[in-house]
This record gives sequence, C-alpha cells and structure tokens, in this order.
Amino acid sequence: MARPHIEPFVERNEDFKKLSMSGFGKGMHYKMLSFDTDTGACTMKVRFDSGYKRPPGFSYSEVEMFLLKGTLKYGDTTYQEGHYFLIPPGVSMPAMSSSRGCEVLLMYNGSEPNFVETDVDHDYADRSRLAEVNSYQGMPWMAPAVNPPRTATGCLLKILKYDERTHAMSFLYILSPEFWQDNISYHDCAEESYHIWGSSWMMQFGDLPTGGYFWRPPYINHGAFACKRGTIAFGRTDSELFNHFHFNPWSNAKENEERSASRLMHRNPEIYNWIAQRGHNHPHPQDFEYPDDHGHSHDHDHDHGKKK
Amino acid sequence: MDNLGIPHVRNADARAWMKKETAAQKKRYQLIVKEQDDLSPKRDKWIADFLQRIQTRGFNVDADMLRVIKPEEIPTKPKRKFKVVF
Repeated sequence: MARPHIEPFVERNEDFKKLSMSGFGKGMHYKMLSFDTDTGACTMKVRFDSGYKRPPGFSYSEVEMFLLKGTLKYGDTTYQEGHYFLIPPGVSMPAMSSSRGCEVLLMYNGSEPNFVETDVDHDYADRSRLAEVNSYQGMPWMAPAVNPPRTATGCLLKILKYDERTHAMSFLYILSPEFWQDNISYHDCAEESYHIWGSSWMMQFGDLPTGGYFWRPPYINHGAFACKRGTIAFGRTDSELFNHFHFNPWSNAKENEERSASRLMHRNPEIYNWIAQRGHNHPHPQDFEYPDDHGHSHDHDHDHGKKK
Repeated sequence: MDNLGIPHVRNADARAWMKKETAAQKKRYQLIVKEQDDLSPKRDKWIADFLQRIQTRGFNVDADMLRVIKPEEIPTKPKRKFKVVF
C-alpha cells in the first residue's frame, strides 16, 4: 500500500531518532510523520545538530524542505525560518551546513531518503524546476479557492509549489482566531498538514495542536472545523484540491468517492461522458444524497450495477 | 522518469531502514485507530451538536453562505460500525 491514513499524529510526543543511512553524515535526527511503504517516500521532521555539515550532492527523489526553526546554509547563502525549497531529483545542491542547528520538515516525494555526493547534476535532472522562497516574508496571503465551494472567511494561504500537470500544491496556510466552518469536507486528493503553531479542531479527530500532523488519503470526511486562537500550518496535496462539502457525518470513503463521481457527472457532463462512455464501459456512480438520480438517459439495455 | 524521482538501485542500508519504518508505522497507525475509537463518546456529542447547529445557524454551502437544513434532510446513523480512520 501507499501511505496509510495517519490522523491525527502529534510529533511533540515522540523522540528524535538518529538517521544513520549512508551519505547523510553525523548529526541528523528525525521523527517519521508518514511513510510510503512501497516507494519509501516520506515526510519527516528533522533536526540538524549544531555544526552539521554535508558536502554538495543530489537525491534521486524530489525533495521539499521547509525551515521551521534556526538557520541553515547552502553554499554561502544563509536561510531563515519560513524558507521553502523545492529540489528536483538529480539536482546537485551546494554544501549544506547549520552552525547553530535547525529543524525542518523534510519530504522525499519519489523514494526513500538518499544522497549522492557530487557537484554535478544527474543526466535526468531538470534544474529549471529548482525553487526556493521565504514564505514568511514578501508573499501575500490569498483566499484558497476562486471557484466555489470555498472555505469560510479566515482561511488564507500562500502557494509555494504548484504542479501544472497534477495540480498538486504545497502551501502555507492560516486559520484566523475564532474561525469556524460548519460543513463536512472531503477531497479527491490526498492531503497533508503540519501545525507549525496553533491548535484547530475537527469534528472527527478532535484538537490538533502545535506539532500536530496528518496524512489523509482521498475521500475521508473531515470537519466541521473550528479554531479558537489561530493556527499557522504547512500543507500539501498530491493533485487538485476540490472541496466536496456535505453534512452526513457517517458517510464512508467509498460512498464519498461515488458521490464525487456523481458530482463530476453533473458539474462537468461533457468530459464525464467522454471518459465514461468510451468503449461503453461506463460507470453509474451513486450519490448518497440523490440515490434516485441516475444523471442521464440512454436508449440501451444493460445492468446499471445497482444492487438487486 | 516522472517529476518525483530518478530510478536507482536501493542499497541494503535503505532496504533495512524501510523495513524498520514500515513496522514502526504499522504500530503508529494501530495506536491512532485505538485513540480515535476511544474518542467515540465525545465525537457522538460533537456530531449531535453539529446536526443541531446546521438546523439553526446553518450549513456552510460556500464560504460564508449558510443554508438552514430542514429536519427531514438530517441523515440517520447507519447500523454499520462507524470509523473515522481508514
């Protein structure tokens, strides 16, 4: 399987472990937040000890890194808290060091953590995708979605990574004090979040405090939502984030998935029909809110897959 | 090659690490499931409060747009086991 549903998980209750894999040197410690048991892709909170040093090199995996606390250097440049890096696979980064130590969120997206010492890019590296930005400075907060249905006022974000092919995103987000939203949400994508500071509440899982984390596969209910004193968090999705809102607390992931397909049929009928009717192997998804609404008419005779 | 990685041979070091992390995550997952099962009585109360609020203050249809839900629209709890971690 890929990554299981890890929600909620509070890393502050855990101890750091030494990362002793070859290539990373001494002074790197981690807490595993979530882990893909097939590929080794993972999200970790990492502590680099004072004086940590690593030579120039690359990873075979795409790497994302968010600097939570302290400072670190790549080459001659020192980076501060809130700095975000997207490092494509095979792109060689300059020597890395942290004189006073630091803590980061470190994400290996394609494989287990690995490091190859070299100052030359891999032949397959795409250096044009290398990106870094300080998310705390010089970026405006924005409303999370233009197209409805949208989150309530008081949820704002800064997009740090956007994949134009998959629409996957990495972002910083805040919930304002006294934020609330009375609906239940799920998405067609996996969603991940780490609370940098603050506590928020969801009806299924209770309070998620500072250091709280989740990796949530698609179609899993979350919400209603509330946040008393404000929260700042780092989040990611693995494809397009579309809000499916409803008020059935007991629907399960399979029913939510069916409902998504049914809603796509109504929201984007042309593309739905094109996809669904190729080879006449089309599904007839059920929407638990509209169980009798078949969605379209046709003139052929076949089994709609409903339970008899 | 996709955007996420370059094919490579995983060494013994990495294979052993993955095995260890797989076992650790399995434990972590089981603990989460138990903690969430233990939260059931509180969650039932939160759900009852939510279903009440959406019939009075309203349900967030889009952003801050609220729709008051009629009593006949309120879903009933199915008989199957209710879980929040999948």
